[in-house]
Amino acid sequence: MPDSKGRPNHIEDALIHIHSRQWFTWTDSKNKIYANLRLTEKVGVDGNIVDNPITELPTEEEVNAKLVELQTEWDNAND
Amino acid sequence: MALTKLNARSATALDATILTGNLPAISGASLTGITSGLTEADQWRVHSSFTGSATPITSNWERSDTTGFGKLGTGLTESSGIFSFPSTGIYIIYGQMSFQFNEEDTDSIMSIATTTNNSSYTAQSTTREADKNTDGRRHSCSCMAVFDVTDVTTHKFRLDAQSVASSNAVACSSGETITGVTVFRVGDT
Repeated sequence: MPDSKGRPNHIEDALIHIHSRQWFTWTDSKNKIYANLRLTEKVGVDGNIVDNPITELPTEEEVNAKLVELQTEWDNAND
Repeated sequence: MALTKLNARSATALDATILTGNLPAISGASLTGITSGLTEADQWRVHSSFTGSATPITSNWERSDTTGFGKLGTGLTESSGIFSFPSTGIYIIYGQMSFQFNEEDTDSIMSIATTTNNSSYTAQSTTREADKNTDGRRHSCSCMAVFDVTDVTTHKFRLDAQSVASSNAVACSSGETITGVTVFRVGDT
């Protein structure tokens, strides 16, 4: 989650803006690092449980770049 | 005032009209046929945030494990976001959700949806949030449902996040329950 002021500060903040819906999960919910990132098998759509349409994880570099992008946006909006 | 005296040999045919005065204390250990009111209490939460809708929220459920949490009874079971009950009875289901608005959304909905045939779900309790702002501010909402579980194989429930704009988040955490459900069994069906 973003920090107390709302600034994105974790890779999960980036992941939720790479794709929508519950497309990812963690092998350890208490240790949310890239190495523990996995795709979910199913997502809920319009009352139905269907296969996750996302079939490939973003690279660690892509995730980190998205986080920097979001942080820059936030900083520019809150300066 | 004198205590009521009962003849032990007539105690099987007590007449309420003779029960007057101060009654003696009765040990609860001797009573039968009395059950505790609350026999189940459990809490589950979604440990990872997501954007957009999830109907139902299928993934990333975990039982609360924050220091101090204590489950009463057997507890719920969860599979792909579908919750099953450990026994029949009247249950109170409390749902809570936190929406983070990154774009304008006039109708973000949280629902507790129940089924009585293990197939078709009906939103039994719903709450809605909206915000014109796009600065990531959060709105927390909650609702409750009373569910008569007469058959644990057919009576189940799920939590839905509906009509959530694709950039808006359902905020979740693995450290505390921000989005999740709390369930109490309050009596027999």
